[in-house]
Amino acid sequence: MAGNVSILRERIKSIADGASLRAGGAKIACGEKSVSGAVSQRACVYSGARVVLNPITDAYHVVHGPIGCASYTWDIRGSLSSGSETYRTSFSTDLRETDVIFGGEKKLAEAIDELVEKESARLIFVYATCIVGVIGDDIEAVCRRAEEKHGIRVIPVKAPGFSGTKSQGYRLACDAIMQLISPYRGIPKAEGVNIIGDFNLAGEIWLIRNYLERIGVGVVATATGDSSYKTLIKMPSARLNVVQCAGSSTYLASRMESEMGIPYVKVSFFGVGDTSSSLMRIARSLGDDSAVKRAAEFTAEESAKTKAAIEKYRHRLEGKKAAIYVGGGFKAISLIRQFSELGVETVVVGTQTGRREEYEEIGRLVGKGAVVLDDSNPSELEEFIVRKKADILVGGVKERPLAYKLGVAFCDHNHERRHALAGYEGAVNFAREVCMSLCSPVWDYCREEKGE
Amino acid sequence: MGRIKSLDVNPCKMCMPLGAVTAFCGVKNCMTILHGSQGCATYIRRHMATHYNEPVDVASSSLTEEGTVFGGRENLIRGLENLISLYGPEVIGVATTCLAETIGEDVPAIVKEFCSARPDIGAKIISVSSPGYGGTQSEGFFRAICAIVSQAEMDPTPNGCVSVIAPMLSPADYRLLKEMLDGMGIRYILLPDLSDNLDSGYSRKYERLKGGGTPLEEISKMAGAVHTIELSLFAGDECSPARRLFEMYGVPYTRMAMPVGVRGTDEFVKKLVSLGGVRSPRLVEERGRYIDAMVDSHKHCAKGRAAIFGDPDFVYAIARLCCECGVVPVLAATGAACPQLKEKLDEEIRSCAERLFAGETLVLDDCDFDAIEAEAKRLGVNVMIGSSDGRRISSRLGIGLVRCAFPIHDRVGGQRIRTIGYEGSLNVLDMVANSLLAAEEEGYRQLSRAKYLEKSAPAPNGEEGKGPAAIACAGERTRTHPCFSDSAEKYARIHLPVAPDCNVQCNYCVRKYDCLNESRPGVASRVLSPEEALERYEKAKATIPNLAVVGIAGPGDALASFGNTRRTLELIREFDPDVTFCLATNGLMLPVYAQELLDLGVTHFTITINAVDPEIGAKIYSHVDYMGRRHTGVAGASVLLANQLAGLSYVAGRGAVCKINTVVLRGINDRHVGDIAAVSKRLGAYISNMMPHVPVQGSAFERLQPVSGAEIEAARKRCAEIMRQMRHCRQCRADAAGTLGNDMSSILACGGEANGAHHGHDAMLPGAVFTFSGADEAALRASV
Repeated sequence: MAGNVSILRERIKSIADGASLRAGGAKIACGEKSVSGAVSQRACVYSGARVVLNPITDAYHVVHGPIGCASYTWDIRGSLSSGSETYRTSFSTDLRETDVIFGGEKKLAEAIDELVEKESARLIFVYATCIVGVIGDDIEAVCRRAEEKHGIRVIPVKAPGFSGTKSQGYRLACDAIMQLISPYRGIPKAEGVNIIGDFNLAGEIWLIRNYLERIGVGVVATATGDSSYKTLIKMPSARLNVVQCAGSSTYLASRMESEMGIPYVKVSFFGVGDTSSSLMRIARSLGDDSAVKRAAEFTAEESAKTKAAIEKYRHRLEGKKAAIYVGGGFKAISLIRQFSELGVETVVVGTQTGRREEYEEIGRLVGKGAVVLDDSNPSELEEFIVRKKADILVGGVKERPLAYKLGVAFCDHNHERRHALAGYEGAVNFAREVCMSLCSPVWDYCREEKGE
Repeated sequence: MGRIKSLDVNPCKMCMPLGAVTAFCGVKNCMTILHGSQGCATYIRRHMATHYNEPVDVASSSLTEEGTVFGGRENLIRGLENLISLYGPEVIGVATTCLAETIGEDVPAIVKEFCSARPDIGAKIISVSSPGYGGTQSEGFFRAICAIVSQAEMDPTPNGCVSVIAPMLSPADYRLLKEMLDGMGIRYILLPDLSDNLDSGYSRKYERLKGGGTPLEEISKMAGAVHTIELSLFAGDECSPARRLFEMYGVPYTRMAMPVGVRGTDEFVKKLVSLGGVRSPRLVEERGRYIDAMVDSHKHCAKGRAAIFGDPDFVYAIARLCCECGVVPVLAATGAACPQLKEKLDEEIRSCAERLFAGETLVLDDCDFDAIEAEAKRLGVNVMIGSSDGRRISSRLGIGLVRCAFPIHDRVGGQRIRTIGYEGSLNVLDMVANSLLAAEEEGYRQLSRAKYLEKSAPAPNGEEGKGPAAIACAGERTRTHPCFSDSAEKYARIHLPVAPDCNVQCNYCVRKYDCLNESRPGVASRVLSPEEALERYEKAKATIPNLAVVGIAGPGDALASFGNTRRTLELIREFDPDVTFCLATNGLMLPVYAQELLDLGVTHFTITINAVDPEIGAKIYSHVDYMGRRHTGVAGASVLLANQLAGLSYVAGRGAVCKINTVVLRGINDRHVGDIAAVSKRLGAYISNMMPHVPVQGSAFERLQPVSGAEIEAARKRCAEIMRQMRHCRQCRADAAGTLGNDMSSILACGGEANGAHHGHDAMLPGAVFTFSGADEAALRASV
């Protein structure tokens, strides 16, 4: 056991290739708990819940737990707001040894009182972290009492890190949103759609909203990017839910469908093809012929413009090989398509929390020899990036230094990015970013160092 | 503490496991596993990877519900086996987390069991108890080192070496430390050694464990060293590795501050000399060069009022460096619970402050950034020194941030920042002095202009060195007007929507919309009669004690419905003789009512001037209704402009404070703003407020692409030489109330049940109207 192993025995079932996936029966284990010691790239249940809820701009996000959970999630994501900036402030009960022994309920209740008195908070999310789940604080009761006392919404999110995977956190966040909006389920219907599962990174929700307006589709509310208490409670009045991040928000859409009768469509705005087909699908789902017509015109025009704009990048990128490691399966699928729009073949693709049906789709999109990974780790990524001779890796912050050490270009497709990657503009940005990294002169020196 | 006593608001600390992971990174061929849930390892990896730009692999036992209930023994054992397969380490650090500690895991017993069952693993396992709730990263760091020296196989045979225990420093600092020790001819063992593993070079083949760090054989020799030097004053007896080595092996020790600054480095050098080191010529040269640099920049430094934040050892060392250079550390703050910091620093800082007439100083422990921000503001801080976590305060308060501590997430090179020895100290000194210089370079023209040309600077208050942010405005009323003075944010204003009509059609405006979600000039929920306005004011006065200003800002033009405006002002003046009156107008009717307004006590005017060239104005205004006639095109724009300028000149000439609002329109007047500033300044305007155009659906400019926050900022910079620029604007509604940061209008409007559901649906604004408000771009448009 000299550390020459790259793939643990327990991990083999979570790795497949394009050929086996295509053969049907999708032989890849997914949705399972992470293997101890494998150095999974996943975070925890709390993180999943926090990611989805944090963009609610005027909410007070109170982390009930020790300081670390708050410290590492403080304002680290690029969700933008057109209004309140409250969500960018970290609030933590900062539990200490004595709180762990005697319980933190009192501290939490006092904190909520203070937020109401001093900050006029009207919407508070309380996240229970690992130890709160163990020491037995009844945060539901604390939140309920606070709601009664202050007449505001205080919504508990019981998200101890150990209680599942990040996907479990997504569900908890969706439940919290339902808890917030359910009292408004009877409000009169409005013309327009909700955009859900978009977190307004670098203003992407604004960009998509502009597209929808261009085709004559109004937006009732967005979730959770650039949302607020007032906008979220309008959600039940929409005619359709447009689900962008399927991994995190399909569950919310399906609850809204069954409990409020609002149908949904899954869309993706990554890449020219997906952006156009998503806009068409939205227009058709509304059964609005004039919208369909406008969408057809708009998408044709924008696709042509965008394709022309990325042509010079495509020219350089044609024939390169990509590796993808992202959070959800739906995004991975879009990225494979987007790379193929650029003439780039995807040779490695993995996700933290992809689902069976998404892996089946991935199998249909990649070549037979491509490697597909669920809940992968640095050793496997290293092994397959090298073995499959990938030229670029697309991923998040933790994957970036690994790519660089391997002498491979990198595209940041995470929640911290500062430029839009969605829509037609995003497609150009993506092509540019990929090209700028791949074409950098620095790789010449890396290759020289490697003796290539 | 800050605003909220029972919460940590913006943490100035991290947790123990992060410190433990960092320490283990400094041991050769060591891999770490955190016993807890998966998230802890991932978050810590992310936090470190962003700072060091280096892969940081940390395993997790990935505890699940089952493990939490029935014990995590199996998870930990499987985790150990797996990480051994993948990484083949010589040393394994097992650090606990909140979860493992709370469920009462007996990690040493599990490790012992594992080692006896698997004698073939070839790795030394070291476990450390590091619950996140038990302390901060610095305690976790020293606890891990304690665990290493306690659990490694030690060789007490005397070997003549000196052991050096270093705190959480950058890899570059570790390299400096080694150079110093080598240069002095000391035989030493440095633990940990982060110099390579967290800043490795590009190499032919990627190694998962990078091969740097202190080897186990070296660590074993620490038991036989002649002396241990621990470069920390705050590690605490129970987690001091030097003390542990003394207790276990009788190695004498010295605990001292990080070698930073003249005294800190001198003390360290002196200690090394006493242990047989040689003061090398290079060291003498470096010291000389550093003192020379201190002299060179001492006058810049003398204006420095620093806030230093971070872990106690860092704050202590940098505060002493500042005191030596004459930068007064008026605020020294740590997020750790560490009352000793004050004991050790207070006197030194006070005497420095006294010497340089700096007034009050403060040493805080167990504090958050919310408290640091409040105190930094109060104490007139003009430079911050610490991690990049101070960037929000830095940008909000407009003061420089010297990034020289972990974590640095918004710049590259965190792993290469040097702070120790004469050389590192010089680097810190240069960065601090340059930050102060940059602020002065950018601001001195404006400052002199304000002081002597406009004669609006405050009288000296006996304390030196409060930064340019403290320039006050003309007149006491301006001081308490949140829209005219950026230091008046604690004062509140109320806009009374009594003027429904408008006499100019601007192409960017549609006034039919009414929505509480909309926050921009020209919008109000309901127009009030003068009597209702008084009632609202009385109510507001009762709820908002710091209410200092009444403004009439529409929703139309205050002078297009002058009867209402006049009556409102009269009623309120009767009720409250002290309140400041402020009025916003397009200026069309200003010459007509100027004297009457002054007689009514209006002291502050905001005039929206979008062009001083009728050709440009013609593109902006579709019509102007004046004296019973509708004027369009250049003629309309000329009528408007003539009246704006005459009105401005009249009221400004009689002592009123005038703000010029300009809606910056891409391709229309964005290159014209300098002319507007120049003309209005000449006629007596006091401050300019440029606002990006917000596209409104249904307006003529609905498709016009707005200018970005950066472009606005650039325009403000260009015009700053001409006229004072307002940068803190929140684009208030015509019925706004409260401070700029806290609109209470909905509460006043509907008796407290402000959930928006009472609005008719047709009143909602369809589609998107939004402002691009990033952190500081939130200060976008004017409260008219």
